[in-house]
Amino acid sequence: MTLVPITYKGGVYRHDEILDLIDDLGGYVIQKHHLAQEVVLQCLVPKEDIEYLRTVARPLAGEVIEAPLVGTEIAVVSPSLEIHHLPHTSCDVAEYLRRVGAKTNVIGLSRGFGKRIANLNIEERDVINEHDCAVYLLGNFEECIKEKLPTLRRGITVPVIVAGAPSKERLQAIIDPPAEGYVGDLGRVAHRMRKEEELDPLDRVVEEVSRVLSAYREEIAKDPLSISPARLMVILDEKLQITAESTHPTPITVQIAGLRVKVAYETYAEQLRALEIEEGVTVGDVAEVLPSRMRNYIWLKIRPFSETNIMV
Amino acid sequence: MKAFEYFEVECEDAVGGDAYRQIAADILGDLDLIKVIGRLHIYIDPKVPLFLAVGVTRKLPRLVRLRDFANVLEQGGGVVIDISDETYLSQLLNILWERFGRDLVEQPDRWTIQIRSGDVNPSDIEDLVVFDPTESLAKDLIYALQYIAPEGFKVRRQLVKEGRFYYVASENTLEEGMVERLLAEKFAKIGVTV
Repeated sequence: MTLVPITYKGGVYRHDEILDLIDDLGGYVIQKHHLAQEVVLQCLVPKEDIEYLRTVARPLAGEVIEAPLVGTEIAVVSPSLEIHHLPHTSCDVAEYLRRVGAKTNVIGLSRGFGKRIANLNIEERDVINEHDCAVYLLGNFEECIKEKLPTLRRGITVPVIVAGAPSKERLQAIIDPPAEGYVGDLGRVAHRMRKEEELDPLDRVVEEVSRVLSAYREEIAKDPLSISPARLMVILDEKLQITAESTHPTPITVQIAGLRVKVAYETYAEQLRALEIEEGVTVGDVAEVLPSRMRNYIWLKIRPFSETNIMV
Repeated sequence: MKAFEYFEVECEDAVGGDAYRQIAADILGDLDLIKVIGRLHIYIDPKVPLFLAVGVTRKLPRLVRLRDFANVLEQGGGVVIDISDETYLSQLLNILWERFGRDLVEQPDRWTIQIRSGDVNPSDIEDLVVFDPTESLAKDLIYALQYIAPEGFKVRRQLVKEGRFYYVASENTLEEGMVERLLAEKFAKIGVTV
């Protein structure tokens, strides 16, 4: 059964039927937004049942849209949080990625600006490495991108997508060793990107991120995970009631090969490790429960089948 | 909004130059400075790296004096200032407090200020400069240029004086004489001899 990421948009009226249906089909609801009269669900649904879901949703005026990035957490890295780099570009990119289902975190480096003086500290490196991939939003000059990028990606183990004002070909030519993805014509701007020619690079960011993450998913499929992250999320939430007791927009964030659980590591880590999934298999058996560098959250890294010999 | 008489961004990297042209236009527009700047030339060399802007300001609104918005009357042992426009009232009060002391300056209502001092000459008071538009202009201009320039260029030199201004910034210490040479060269492009 292949699960396909989709977004469901519809009215509040009878939307619980859709929730039940997704559950019965063996899919998972990753995030649920209530916006006045509207409900937006980010979910994973079996591929062969999408048409059926559409049929059920039609009389409710619901819309089923493919959203390639549901179930991923992406770091949008900005050289700093100064007025030079925010809110434009960083927020536009983050917002655009969110529209296709991704959970994005904007990471403003403390000293990522400049050419020679650009730096990445250990905390920033570790936080970026907890994501599925990182989108680096760099500036307008080839010369600067060429010199500063090696410093900014030192120690980064997740795929990196580089965006800058030079064309994609130029970026490919100057970046050594190569990055996983490139988006040209998207540098520092001082206005909101609204025109069609400005939205085009944003679409290319989505395309490039989707391409990079599909490759990552294929890599994982060769040695599948011991449990699907979405399933683990549902189990954790049922047993620990995390969503019910939290005010976070995404109390449990699903990643491609892990979860970020927004509860205190010191208090909950042991309880989480010992939690039984089914037939005596505990969370600790299938995943590493690690302290996240983001606040005091817990970061769960799901182990592959080859390591655990367990598939639940 | 009047456009610039002259606006150029000079840069070897054409893509970066175009991007900075757009950034400068956006920021100066946002900060409402387009009508203040007459000519502007920006030179960027990413190799050094160096950001340099030179320009000429347009004629500014004149100094705001007390007589522009108030009447001064001699009364008893002091003077009474009768205000018709409150825009610069807070600046005026600060100046008066500093000059005469808070105990001698009173404001019985919104439109009146009394100065209870014998040695006040009403005509002197009428000529008092309350607000100088060039003061805030210099601050606004430098802020705008700082915002336009790439972040992290912390070695810098700036000047706003006698209708012209410049802003030079880099992240490295620059060679001696280089700034002077470049400034003269770029000022010449906008028709100013230094």
